[in-house]
Amino acid sequence: MFSAAAPRRGSGLGFAMPAILLLAAFFVIPVVFLLTRSVTEPQLGLQNYATLVGSSTYAKVFFNTFFVAGVVTLVTVLIAFPVAWALAIMPARWSSVVFAIILLSMWTNLLARTYAWMVLLQQTGLINRMLKAVGLIDQPLQLTNNLVGVTIGMVYIMLPFMILPLMGVIKKIDPAILQAAALCGATKWQALTRVLVPLATPGIASGALMVFVMSLGYFVTPSLLGGTANMMLAELIAQQVQSLVNWGMGGAAAFLLLLVTLGLYAVQLRFLDRKETA
Amino acid sequence: MTPFLHINGIRKTYGAVVATDHVELSIAEGEFMTFLGPSGSGKSTTLYILAGFQDPTAGDIKLRGQSILQTPSHKRNIGMVFQRYTLFPHLSVGENVAFPLRVRRMGQDEIAQKVKRALSLVRLDGFEDRMPAKMSGGQQQRVALARALVYDPPVLLMDEPLSALDKKLREEIQFEIRRIHQETGVTILYVTHDQEEALRLSDRIAIFNKGKIEQVGTGPELYANPATHFVADFIGDSAFLAGELASVGQGRAGLRFADGSTVAAVPLHGQGMAGQAAELMLRPERIELTPEAGPEGASLPVMVEDLTFLGNNTTVSARTGWGAALTVRLNFGHPLAGRIARGDKLHIRWAPEAAHAFVRG
Repeated sequence: MFSAAAPRRGSGLGFAMPAILLLAAFFVIPVVFLLTRSVTEPQLGLQNYATLVGSSTYAKVFFNTFFVAGVVTLVTVLIAFPVAWALAIMPARWSSVVFAIILLSMWTNLLARTYAWMVLLQQTGLINRMLKAVGLIDQPLQLTNNLVGVTIGMVYIMLPFMILPLMGVIKKIDPAILQAAALCGATKWQALTRVLVPLATPGIASGALMVFVMSLGYFVTPSLLGGTANMMLAELIAQQVQSLVNWGMGGAAAFLLLLVTLGLYAVQLRFLDRKETA
Repeated sequence: MTPFLHINGIRKTYGAVVATDHVELSIAEGEFMTFLGPSGSGKSTTLYILAGFQDPTAGDIKLRGQSILQTPSHKRNIGMVFQRYTLFPHLSVGENVAFPLRVRRMGQDEIAQKVKRALSLVRLDGFEDRMPAKMSGGQQQRVALARALVYDPPVLLMDEPLSALDKKLREEIQFEIRRIHQETGVTILYVTHDQEEALRLSDRIAIFNKGKIEQVGTGPELYANPATHFVADFIGDSAFLAGELASVGQGRAGLRFADGSTVAAVPLHGQGMAGQAAELMLRPERIELTPEAGPEGASLPVMVEDLTFLGNNTTVSARTGWGAALTVRLNFGHPLAGRIARGDKLHIRWAPEAAHAFVRG
């Protein structure tokens, strides 16, 4: 197997060179610069990292970031799973229509979508007015300028990134397996939790990693819907670099984010690898 | 007495397409019943209705006198082995077999004991920890069989379970299925399009064609007394000689062929009268090749076209006087084998019950 794959891998390298050079020039080199600045500004040493880890202000930023990313990931999985399932079993004609709608929303400008949520979520927005009209609430709910707004806005933006990988794995599951589960005596819920979800786990894992990592570094939605009191990591980096021109601190935060991302990726690789060889 | 399992006038339509039409069948407890027919004949649809994957448009299915149509699949307590391997790929062999017991919330010890017994039944003792992907197709179907039997269902459905396996493995597992049927006494409904498989396994066979059951009977019954042209054609390979009815009476008929030759007193299937188109069916192993003409009305002249030696027999391709093709088999050591050649003019003859006439519908 290796002898067959090796020459092909070698010959493909030539075609991949432009992309590799591009990545090196615009990703690896800036990251190295950032890392250098994070340990040399204002002076040589790890004091930027010490400040980041030590101060409670920054701890809150980290907590906000991970908390929101975690909740967004969880909610996205819960919403995306039934959608992906429906798409997988729908007649092809219908699924392509729904699919087009999902893609269209993905291609719509991010700022426009986030502003649309601001309009919907604000105190006098559509959602508050509707809830009031129905009589569920007396006072308008605070849905913007806090993490609730950020979570709602981000779940919406992240959904396609969860639906696509999930649909991929669910489509590959033989419907006869679910029929077999039913005849074995499994209720719909048991078939879901004992068969469907375990079989969809690779899709859930890769979708969840994608959404979680993207959420960790998201800037637009948190800054528009979150307000200044609920800062997240990307906002912190922007603030340090743009407003305070503190490249050392911004670089350290960005580098920590990258480390966390790589760490998560490594965990997933190992986890999926073990699953496949078991 | 109410039958164990009664399929009562099941009809299933998809828009204008009729998948099954008035399927009527009673199955005894412990019986091995096979649904045999070409693809699209309604045999699988009937099985899926039994499994609860589809609802019939009309009709009822009763198990021990109780209708099961209102019961959802997961409460029917029916076992099923599918055409494709439907083991749960994320579970070990032991956990696959334990699955029906776990969803029934059975105790840990009881599960372990039953799984061990089921795996032993399919001769896979000690395979509990193996993953399905690491097993051969035949082994996977055995696990599927163990999983379908572990909860002692009253009825086991099998939907072409061997079609994905090669011939040798198929025969081996057919033998296993027979043994398991005898050991457990479970009632089996088996779907196949392979007549040899049906004959080998079944107590009785229901022949499906175009959504209807053409005939139900044991293998020998269907072979010796096919009720319709379709059954005669589907079971065994036969020659059909087209002609017309010359005389009809008392369930028997005489036929006249294009060159004027006639046969007499053949059992007639279907309603017909003199002058109507009909076919004479002859089984290759029940006709005899002779140098002289046989008794009047049970013999026809033929010319030898080709000879093929197949080891245990020599297959002779021949043509009748009006040009219809048929084959005759000469067993190894037959006095004529080796003494006949292409172009020889001979005769075929048959015992009175070996031929059947079918009115052309």
